[in-house]
Amino acid sequence: MMTALNPRTVRTIWALTFGGAIVWMAMIFLAPWLAARGAAGAARIVYAVFAPVCHQIADRCFVLNGHPLAVCGRCLGIYAGVLAGLVLYPLIRGFSRLALPRARTFVFVTLPLALDGLAGVLGIWRSPIGLRFATGVLWGAILPFYFVPGLADLVRTRRERLAARKLAKSPPAT
Amino acid sequence: MDAKKPDYFRPALIAGAVAGLLSGLPLIGAGNCICCLWIVGGAAMAVKLLAAGSSTLLTAGDGAMVGALTGITAAVVDAIVSLPLRSFNLGLARRLLDKAVELGGELPSGLDDIINNSGVFSPGWFLLGLFISAAVFAVMGVLGGVIGVSLFAKKALPPAAPPQTPPGPPDAA
Repeated sequence: MMTALNPRTVRTIWALTFGGAIVWMAMIFLAPWLAARGAAGAARIVYAVFAPVCHQIADRCFVLNGHPLAVCGRCLGIYAGVLAGLVLYPLIRGFSRLALPRARTFVFVTLPLALDGLAGVLGIWRSPIGLRFATGVLWGAILPFYFVPGLADLVRTRRERLAARKLAKSPPAT
Repeated sequence: MDAKKPDYFRPALIAGAVAGLLSGLPLIGAGNCICCLWIVGGAAMAVKLLAAGSSTLLTAGDGAMVGALTGITAAVVDAIVSLPLRSFNLGLARRLLDKAVELGGELPSGLDDIINNSGVFSPGWFLLGLFISAAVFAVMGVLGGVIGVSLFAKKALPPAAPPQTPPGPPDAA
């Protein structure tokens, strides 16, 4: 699945995603930092932002200044992996083409996280937080290779459709 | 250039409703704790529905669009489903915490206050929560949608039917 497109668009989307990922990651550490400084109300809001995406069970979270981070070890691994993937993206893919990873690559990086998570849910074993973090990093690292091309292609498609609509509306040349 | 736009809304509404329902249910909703499992899975399902009902090749952009719409739909359905289950969910959380304390677990400071305050419904907090969920679920939906394209979208179009030749002029004879 390859499409040629304006590299500037891809670079802009990559940069915005990178900025967003850094802010998101900073907020994870901001919550315990605020809690440790006595700003309980502000910390509560930051913890609440992450509540829809993480169970936030304290003994499954890394701790900063005596307070748990805003997400569990596995989720922190996923977001750290996303940052690592974003750093690697220009080196592996570049900005001048859109290509999605192969399905088998996705299965390969998903399996460790899925097996570890499933085994935990079924009570077969309880993995240490380091392993959860590591499987999260592996899975998270592939996500920018979907997210950036997806958004870049969305922008390209919308531009193309807009141009086609303009062309259809413009009066025929005499 | 193909300016034909696939119908995103139907698959997004169906898959978003399913994902939102699963997210809002007690215990089952915890699936979202694994990187928004229901939302990412719902968005991938939306792409599968879109691919089944579309004759054109789906692009990553189509996946991103249908995924984002699925995420937003799921956030709305999740908020609606969670509302009547609020007291049940809080009761469940309280029982789990009591059990953890019984077993000698240590709870983070302030968690008790958070649970007690969560029982009070405020439209402002509800809207803020809905807005945050919609934004987060839309991003996760984009991800699920593009992953769905790579897994489920048609790789090539079926060969086109041969053009019909116009009937020739009637025989003069």
